[in-house]
Amino acid sequence: MAARILKTFLRARPSIITIKRFESNEKNVTLYDPFVNKPQKDKKTYLEAIKIFETRDTRRRGHVEFIYAALARMKEFGVHKDLEAYKALVDVLPKGRFIPTNIFQAEFMHYPKQQQCAVDLLEQMEDNGVMPDSEMEQMLLNIFGRRGIPLRKFWRMMYWMPKFKNLSPWLLPEKLPEDTLELAKMAIQRITSVDPEVKLDVWQTEEIEASLDKTWVVSAQSEVQKVLLAEQPSDIALVVKGPFSVYMKDQVVTYFTLIGKTRPEPKDDKDIDDVSDLQKPLGIPGFIGSTKIPSVKCSVHEQDDGTIVAVCATGTSSRDSLLSWIRLLEKYGNPLLSEIPVIFTLSAPSSDIAVQETQPAKQEETTKVNT
Amino acid sequence: MNSLIKISGFWRNYRLYSVLSGNVNRQNKTKFHLTLCVSNRYLFWERDRKGGYDTSHKISLLDHLKNGFKEITIESKLLGKEIKALIETDPLLVARPGEIDLLWCFNEPNVLDKFVTTSDSDHNQGYSTCSLEMSSAGRALFHGNLDMRVPKDGRIKKAGYAAMRSQRIRKSFKREATYDWHLYNTLVLKVRGDGRSYLLNISCEGYYDITWNDIYHYVLYTRGGPYWQISKIPFSKFVLGSKGRLQDKQNRMRPDKVTHFGISCGDKIPGKFNLEIEYIGLEFDPTHEEEFAYEMYKTDKYIVGV
Repeated sequence: MAARILKTFLRARPSIITIKRFESNEKNVTLYDPFVNKPQKDKKTYLEAIKIFETRDTRRRGHVEFIYAALARMKEFGVHKDLEAYKALVDVLPKGRFIPTNIFQAEFMHYPKQQQCAVDLLEQMEDNGVMPDSEMEQMLLNIFGRRGIPLRKFWRMMYWMPKFKNLSPWLLPEKLPEDTLELAKMAIQRITSVDPEVKLDVWQTEEIEASLDKTWVVSAQSEVQKVLLAEQPSDIALVVKGPFSVYMKDQVVTYFTLIGKTRPEPKDDKDIDDVSDLQKPLGIPGFIGSTKIPSVKCSVHEQDDGTIVAVCATGTSSRDSLLSWIRLLEKYGNPLLSEIPVIFTLSAPSSDIAVQETQPAKQEETTKVNT
Repeated sequence: MNSLIKISGFWRNYRLYSVLSGNVNRQNKTKFHLTLCVSNRYLFWERDRKGGYDTSHKISLLDHLKNGFKEITIESKLLGKEIKALIETDPLLVARPGEIDLLWCFNEPNVLDKFVTTSDSDHNQGYSTCSLEMSSAGRALFHGNLDMRVPKDGRIKKAGYAAMRSQRIRKSFKREATYDWHLYNTLVLKVRGDGRSYLLNISCEGYYDITWNDIYHYVLYTRGGPYWQISKIPFSKFVLGSKGRLQDKQNRMRPDKVTHFGISCGDKIPGKFNLEIEYIGLEFDPTHEEEFAYEMYKTDKYIVGV
């Protein structure tokens, strides 16, 4: 008898034995989806659907499939950045049942499908930048126990996520303003933060009678930039360049720059140890003494691909609104603009290009050489 | 587990879950199919450095021989230069504080040849594209389009990355070399970005397969806009990751055995990206005394690093 049992064991293909543990790891197609027929897709109905599932059946059959289905539909309901929704989903898992009671269970991944499901949930939170809290830890502890793999994932998240959360030197608020004008102001403030002197102005194009587009203009210019603009020789044209884009989290703001002539590199071959001929300081351009500024680069605005004289974002990003911007600049402190020619080197507005949303039918065979 | 290793050992197409080509599917019609998937996911053994991504040229033996003969003279010259440099130059013993030693200054187009770009569309794993070109201002411009769409092949869960990476430096006769940055403690980049955050990757591949995927990461935040920014990042801040996963047991980067440097874009925001780079350099900052920025805790057994 024993020999026969041993024989069957030996004859069994290793694949059959080893598959059994893992084949249920694959996500199966859900048959029941309570989220499809919701008329209004918001947080309230989402939480309601979870509640209905919890109360429908005391055994909560198919809760792993339910959680996967719910995770896939979070974006649709707009709750993918909502900690409360994730907590409600974790709450679906039964408490106490999955806690291993001996070392073998703890070592060999007790209830693997459920643990994997919880790890996937935490991973989705991580991807969406949602930081769990200590209540979540308590819930996971009650479900999987201290040795559970979801707990390890949780602790990793709680170690790393706070470290990177506020690391950006140009920190943005949790929720970006919905108003495009406010967003444009934030964007222009951010890109001109190199120079703390830069002043932000919000103008309406209605002030210019000839304007066609009635919209707003967020323009940024510092006193130094005004002087730099005044230094521009009237035979060299200023150039409006753009549209460029700056990302504010997932929002894109289009901006334009007014570029003046490139000023030469500073050439300094003076002997700084020679004190026999000390010069009187020239003064600060625009403030003290002569308003002439030295011909060498002295401000951050003078770059070797041109001197940035002003930066703006307009409501429509159209050519006409940019023309109004130039006129407004002329009106507010840059009278020289009436004499200097301005060239518009704008590429076609990006809004005219249709974005192909569907997946391309056929991918071109790209043979790119990599080592 | 032992049986799994054996099975995957003699089977050649070991990387099944991320290679999309049809011939893999054809060859998979064996009884070992599922077992193979399992062994791939649950073992850390690596067969090759590229992780199964075959990027080599296919050339005939004759061409191979011809190219080899051509290279003999070039390599001999290189060897001569190396010997001359060894005799003539003294080794650098100290880095001058406050001075930036440039690794790459992107003022000429031929500097770009030292870099390789990759995106997920290269391996049919996504739709992102990227390229590294000279910008109108005469600098390197790493640009492209990040696309988060996932190809519907049932294997890939996430998509959307684009990366540039320096080629492995080498000595004459194709001997692989490493960068020695132990004199410095800060990485300096002069860039002009678009407000996205990028990832800096410093690979420290070692001899053994568990170190092949060791990459030290840090984030490069960009301001966006027309102004240049200089980012100085101390090596102590870099975190160890392997295949994109941060490791539990962190250690400080060893700057004396660096194999690659790269920048990648994958911030989950679909759209165009532009990163203009003027230079990448190294600096010794004597005021920065921190050795490693991340504290490590003592935990129970079998919680961390398993």
